[in-house]
Amino acid sequence: MSKLQKSAWFNLGLITISSLFALLCFTVAASKIEKGFNYINVILCLAMMCIIIPLTLIIAKKKSYEAGFDEREKIINQRATSLSLSGLIITLYFACFIPFVALGGGNIIKVVYLPVIFICTIFTYQLIKSIAIIVQCALEEQNG
Amino acid sequence: MGSEHLSNNVRRLRFENDQMTQEQLADKVGVTRQTIIAIESGKYAPSLPLAFRIARTFGVPIEQVFQYDNEQT
Repeated sequence: MSKLQKSAWFNLGLITISSLFALLCFTVAASKIEKGFNYINVILCLAMMCIIIPLTLIIAKKKSYEAGFDEREKIINQRATSLSLSGLIITLYFACFIPFVALGGGNIIKVVYLPVIFICTIFTYQLIKSIAIIVQCALEEQNG
Repeated sequence: MGSEHLSNNVRRLRFENDQMTQEQLADKVGVTRQTIIAIESGKYAPSLPLAFRIARTFGVPIEQVFQYDNEQT
């Protein structure tokens, strides 16, 4: 398994676990927020840490991984990045327009959903990128 | 990334050079084994610097390693 594949699997695993945990935290926070739960800020901080720590890890490892990529792997990485950026824009589009269409222009949503949108966007970006890399490598190995 | 008109003799040259493995060639030219596999099977057209590095590893001119079919140009 090449460095590119290893980094893709690592990022996929890390972002999946952390996003699920962060979403769980936000779900708990959203359900307790109206009941005056005292530890709501602790849960929200925990949820944000679930995103910030893995993101820092991914960014820190990114440079060391990418230094080891050869020219073919860089092309695969670039393709995956382009694809995941498209996915990110589509996710943002739906995250903004679904509430707009469902609730109407004059309605309001809770601010607690904004970090959820953020998590979903980051998750989608990393998910598409990792899967695109894994699929491209697998297809090349299959055909080779 | 595709190389419809680019053929190569990398596999043959490897065997003519003491049966060099793909891993050994990859290490010498600074790429992964998967890239050598992709080049040999014609799925990836290497950059000019990489093509030169491969040719130099075998000690032959680049034309002996890669051939470009320009009939369709």
